[in-house]
Amino acid sequence: MSLQILDKQAAPSLMSRVISACLHTRELTLLLMILGIVVMMSFVTPYFLSASNFRAVAVGMTPTAIIVIGMAILLASGGFDLSVGSVMALSSTVVALLLLAGVPMPVAVILGLLLGAVAGLVNGILITMIGINPLVATLGTMSIARGIALVLTEGFSVSSLPPAFGYIGKASLLGIPLLVILTLSLIILFDLAVRHTRFFRQIYFIGANEKAAMLSGIAVNRVRIIAYILTGVLAALAGVLLASRLMSGTPTAGNALELQVLAAAVIGGASLRGGEGTILGAFLGVVFVALINNAMTMLAVSIYWQMIVIGAVLVCAVALDMLVRRQST
Amino acid sequence: MSSQTPLIEFRTVSKSFGSNKVINHVDFELLPGEIHALVGENGAGKSTCLGMMYGLHQPDTGSIYLSGKKTVIDNPAHAQNLGIGCVFQELSLAGGLSVAENIFAGHAPATFGIVDWRELHHRAQTLLGEFNLSVNVSAPVDKLPISTRQVVEIAKALSLNSRVILLDEPTSALTPDEVDKLFSILRDLTRRGIGIIYVSHHMSEIFNIADRVTVLRDGRKISTHNTSNTSENEIVAEMIGGHVPTSAKHASDAIGDVLLEAQSLSFPGVFEDISLTLRSGEIVGLAGLMGSRRSVIAKALAGLFTAHEGVLKVKGEPVELRSLSGAMKAGIGYVPEERKTDGLFLDHSVRDNLVAASLKKHTVNGIFNTASARRATQNAIERFSVKTASQDTDIRFLSGGNQQKIMLAKWLETEPDILIIDEPTKGVDVGAKFQIHDELRKKAADGMAILVVSSDFAELATLTDRIIVVHEGRLVGEISAEMATDDSILNLAAGVQVPSQSTSNEAERSALQ
Repeated sequence: MSLQILDKQAAPSLMSRVISACLHTRELTLLLMILGIVVMMSFVTPYFLSASNFRAVAVGMTPTAIIVIGMAILLASGGFDLSVGSVMALSSTVVALLLLAGVPMPVAVILGLLLGAVAGLVNGILITMIGINPLVATLGTMSIARGIALVLTEGFSVSSLPPAFGYIGKASLLGIPLLVILTLSLIILFDLAVRHTRFFRQIYFIGANEKAAMLSGIAVNRVRIIAYILTGVLAALAGVLLASRLMSGTPTAGNALELQVLAAAVIGGASLRGGEGTILGAFLGVVFVALINNAMTMLAVSIYWQMIVIGAVLVCAVALDMLVRRQST
Repeated sequence: MSSQTPLIEFRTVSKSFGSNKVINHVDFELLPGEIHALVGENGAGKSTCLGMMYGLHQPDTGSIYLSGKKTVIDNPAHAQNLGIGCVFQELSLAGGLSVAENIFAGHAPATFGIVDWRELHHRAQTLLGEFNLSVNVSAPVDKLPISTRQVVEIAKALSLNSRVILLDEPTSALTPDEVDKLFSILRDLTRRGIGIIYVSHHMSEIFNIADRVTVLRDGRKISTHNTSNTSENEIVAEMIGGHVPTSAKHASDAIGDVLLEAQSLSFPGVFEDISLTLRSGEIVGLAGLMGSRRSVIAKALAGLFTAHEGVLKVKGEPVELRSLSGAMKAGIGYVPEERKTDGLFLDHSVRDNLVAASLKKHTVNGIFNTASARRATQNAIERFSVKTASQDTDIRFLSGGNQQKIMLAKWLETEPDILIIDEPTKGVDVGAKFQIHDELRKKAADGMAILVVSSDFAELATLTDRIIVVHEGRLVGEISAEMATDDSILNLAAGVQVPSQSTSNEAERSALQ
């Protein structure tokens, strides 16, 4: 629609169409900006384009990228989850403790994921059936999950895990870390699922207008609870993979991760109003933030300044979106 | 006909919300192939009846029978499974999603849970084709005009292959042409044995389409008639309980100076070239269908929406209103349409709500004077005979009519010279309606200039001195109160005749034709 309006105003030059498409499709905008960073940085420092740097950035962002899947789905449904960082830490420590206690690896991993499911279920029930605001409910479970992780470990990391456990975290396939392959597969799988399955399409109806969704015969509470469970499981999976990569369970891991994930999802086109956003967009948001951080590190920008820049990027992305929307209505 | 098993049957159904009995021993039946109209004043219980049929409420006593079988309808999803579809008065579409997805919300054709987009688009196209509507079904629904959205909403109910279809004011945004198409589709459906419950305020529609009509008043069933054996007057008399009140038009000789004047207000794409005047002592109606932008125009006069072009004059002085507080300084009051979301602080007391817009008046040297607020509230409660336990009661416990009275009183408390009021009696009972009308007439007689925005054309015809009609953001005519009827306003508002730049005489003539 807005495309057509622009076309009518100016001669429909290819350029204006491209610019307009970019402004209106968050994925394209981000992709271009990511390319921009890559090109710019490759001129600034030769190390940036190196395989080892890319590998480090890619592996480093796997927890965020896995969790952002759940967060994007929740945001589209009009909710969100602040407990993801804590649940990640809790599952990483619990799996590590189970392994130390001699529990077989598959059982330990499954129990870790189940823990995430339970955390998600608790969030979902608090929010839908009891009616607690998602901010308050998940703020509570965030604190509880982190607390349990710290109590279980008395604040120390759990290391000396069986070497076999480190396989997933360290292995590569054709030079690409298994972690990265796994994460990308999840992104593609969920992006397609959210676009094309009946179950996930319901999410957008709920996020756009909860009452209308209910009146359309959508089981709103059930869908919401499942979305929270999914997010909990993904956070737990990120925790298990993190433990495998670091060969330790860390109760302090993922501190403030929930905010990074939220920021990345919003930069990627999700909105706290609900009803919009894609998994691909959210993932590109994660990549974008990771590359900016990496670029600044390479440019020897202090970590404090990096926080300022990321904050500014977040606000600018949303402000730009608001301005484009206002213009097109 | 009477030998058939009813599709839906209510047997002595009652329902209360709190201490408020909204449905009282109602018997009702819908036969296959029948269009059954359900009428009554606001608050008579029509919505609650529909809600019980669609699984939103459960009867307290009595039962619902579907095709002769006693059934508990748990929720809307269950109702849909039982073959009951519903079109609600308020649009229930998800704006960002496509037309096709909205029509099949939550039950899109899918194999192994994966949506079959081609089939989805095909079926959506077929359904909309019945309305001769060529819409790009993959376009997001919020890019469509309101009337098309309402058609989408109706297609949504048809998509379920329901045996029973509930329609709640389905024509509130449709043009007469689209209404005709809707009616021919409804007649087609009844030939297939589908039963339709039709809720509407428009008597002419009911007598045009319905086979039978059931009247509800104060939660009780008054009667069921065959439409061929009754008359509009009989139905209206039953709806309001015997007497058809002939509310006296207020003396329009008290009309004085122009207090508010708009000259060619425009906001491209929203409204264009809006010019109107409001005089002291005058009640002017602003009529329009859904999507006519009547409310936005009202907001533009109250500083809540800034027009790009044009001049607004208050008492002859050009003003630039950028906010409601600016408008209030200029002597303008604005009563919004949605009392629950825009007008009231539901969890606060009657008193807090009453003084919310006039805190300054009740503040001395920066200190809030509770005693003076109490007095003002007591006055308002008495003047409007508001039913409330006390002025400290949370306003959410009051009935809709009493809430509406407090909302109006809140703005009268600001002592405006000009009052803009959007849907003054939406969802209130008859008693409250007359009281609100009386109060507005009194204020006009005292010299206030009042603009009443309403989709209830019958209300405008009785309440106002003249009615300005808008269609898609443009003025299309003006009708004087003597010439105004529900139908004459509707025809203008639907854009049937567009007497461009008409004088009120021309408008009247074309409206009468």
